[in-house]
Amino acid sequence: MNSTNSRLRFIGVIFLIVGLAIIFQIVRVQNSPQAKEMISYLEKTYNQEVRVIKPERGNIYDRWGNLLAGNTEVYEVGIAPPQVINSDTVAQDLSSILGLDFSEIKKIARSYIEEGNEQYMVVADFVPADKVHLLENKLAEYEKADKPKKGAAPSLNGVHWVAHLRRSYPENTLAANILGFYNYYDRVDGRGILGLEEQYNNLLAGTATRVVLPMNPTAIQEIPSVPPGSSLILTIDRGIQAAAERIAQKAQEDSGAESATILVMDPETGEMLAMATTPAFNPNEYQKYGEIFPQGSHYNRAISQLYEPGSVFKVLTMAAALDSGAVTPETTFVDTGAIEVGGLWIYNWDRGAWGPQDMTGCMQHSLNVCLAWTATEMGPTTFYNYIQTFGLGKYTGIDLAGEQVYPLSLPGDQNWYPINLGTNAFGQGVAATPVQMITAIAAVANDGKMMAPHVVKAYIQDGHQYDISPRLIRQVIKPETAHALTEMLANSLENEASVALVEGYRVSGKTGTAEIPGPGGYESSVTNASFVGWGPSDDPKFIVYIWLEKPTSSPWGSVVAAPVFSEVVSELTVLMKLPPDSVRQQMAQP
Amino acid sequence: MFDQRIIQAYKQAPWRVQLQWIGALLLVLVVGMLIAGVYLYLSAEATAAGTHIRELELEREDLQIRIADLSTQLAFLRSASFMQGRAETLGYKNASQGDIVYIPVPGYSGRQVIFLAPPPGNDPVDASIIKPAYKESLWEWLYQGTFDLIESRGVKP
Repeated sequence: MNSTNSRLRFIGVIFLIVGLAIIFQIVRVQNSPQAKEMISYLEKTYNQEVRVIKPERGNIYDRWGNLLAGNTEVYEVGIAPPQVINSDTVAQDLSSILGLDFSEIKKIARSYIEEGNEQYMVVADFVPADKVHLLENKLAEYEKADKPKKGAAPSLNGVHWVAHLRRSYPENTLAANILGFYNYYDRVDGRGILGLEEQYNNLLAGTATRVVLPMNPTAIQEIPSVPPGSSLILTIDRGIQAAAERIAQKAQEDSGAESATILVMDPETGEMLAMATTPAFNPNEYQKYGEIFPQGSHYNRAISQLYEPGSVFKVLTMAAALDSGAVTPETTFVDTGAIEVGGLWIYNWDRGAWGPQDMTGCMQHSLNVCLAWTATEMGPTTFYNYIQTFGLGKYTGIDLAGEQVYPLSLPGDQNWYPINLGTNAFGQGVAATPVQMITAIAAVANDGKMMAPHVVKAYIQDGHQYDISPRLIRQVIKPETAHALTEMLANSLENEASVALVEGYRVSGKTGTAEIPGPGGYESSVTNASFVGWGPSDDPKFIVYIWLEKPTSSPWGSVVAAPVFSEVVSELTVLMKLPPDSVRQQMAQP
Repeated sequence: MFDQRIIQAYKQAPWRVQLQWIGALLLVLVVGMLIAGVYLYLSAEATAAGTHIRELELEREDLQIRIADLSTQLAFLRSASFMQGRAETLGYKNASQGDIVYIPVPGYSGRQVIFLAPPPGNDPVDASIIKPAYKESLWEWLYQGTFDLIESRGVKP
């Protein structure tokens, strides 16, 4: 009996030792570095999902909240070959609905059966939602259908579609030159190109966030809410922009010009209300960029194409002459038809002699000789100091990508000659962009204060709207100088019964016709025709700049550009709800 | 002999001892099963809740995409050219200066620029979607409950 008991105890001890050894080994193996490494790898691979959440690109609105750039729903469609049940159905439906190649799709759908391919393959991207709805309908139809007795049932198993956003411009061509575009077909490195899309790319794009999400449903973790990119609210008025674009297009056709540019600005704030340029471009089809803008052409001529502005520049020269005290509005100049500056002769546009003229007469008849004389009266130092103060030769700093500037030649520079003082006075031999010109001349319409031009009025970030305050660049001329010049330019338009006049509104303005420099000197056959004007003259609320490049119907700004100004202002007063002067003055009386 | 009789008198019958053992084992088994049942039930509930939350999060992402898309579709339908076309179809024409009558309205300063979001300063409360109760452990719950109780009675811990 004792012997049996001791044997049993012995066997028990053996089993105990073996059991303990097994437990020890289990614990040891599970805690070994290799096991920890494997667990870590498996956790990373199967127990969690790493996602990069790309925020929705911010919207762009006009000043009244009309959406100019938003996002639309599109789909990526792909095939997971191991999940495909019926490759014929997959190929048939994807080819008929999405227009894909039947044999190509069938090959992908059968690639698991034939080659063991397990890789998910994208077969189409940027598929519109309506086409995906057709696929959804097919899917529902197959699920309801009875299974056939022979062969595989029709099935879209293995076909997946995932929604994502694509940049979209609901107004199509409207304000495209301001907005720029987003190259949405590049889903990895897509970015804003030109205009606001480029200038504010980082703000609009927001910050992508990388999150690690556990696949274990018991380990609940909230997906962080990634805020969308900031949205922009522009100073642009959609109605004015649409009118300006329509008028620009018509003006280009009527005048036979190569391009037309119209800018509308609030001189008190520097807010751009409209910036229309031709040709029209639809940023929804940005891939056509090369066709519309061949190499060397400008996407937004208003900010990037430099040109010699011609006589509209005389506004700046006269402002400088009046402000410096070199002349007064009543100063009389006897125009003999020619003046010698720096050893070379300068003539009037018509080669005529206009006799005694006061300064209003000089501006009214756009006398090159008179303006060259005022520049010589000021002297180069004073003249160029004023021109620099007006911002010529410097960036305006407008918040759009692609602004260009041409350095101003100054006395002492290699490319400056004494004749430049005379020619610069009437806008030849000096290059500027339309936005530079309107910014400088807007100072005359705003009591001599030059405001920074801008197109963004506010931005929305993290649920808050931040307003951007107008920025004063500097006081360029005295308020009384600005008022006197505004009055002179209003009188000059009235005296010549200009076609720029607008019934019911007193406006001030100046025409401009500039010859275009070529390789062999100035070409008299082609010109740049311009007009700048603002109103109402006693309390300016708008300034409009017109530029027609190389018009063929007439070379003169007074013929082709001045009526465009009148047309723009006629629509502008309605859109801005500006009552006629008589009504306004009547309303202002107590 | 007397001692043996006393022991025998107080000694349980063998079948009673066995019954007690069986009862004790069954009690342990039932308690164990109850704990396992509660654990399984809670795990299943937590898994279902987790799965539901994941589904809701995916739905939220889909809805965000849908909202952005619908806003853009609406903008297409209200675009300048589309509205102009609709207005012309309905027989309207653009107003000219002669069509407009101006009436002074005291205090009216004209159309104001749009406000699409509140100005900075009005911070909304940062509300997490998943309540802490779904993520806290039993120990955290007990600790927080005790702390709240002490706080409510004004007793310093």
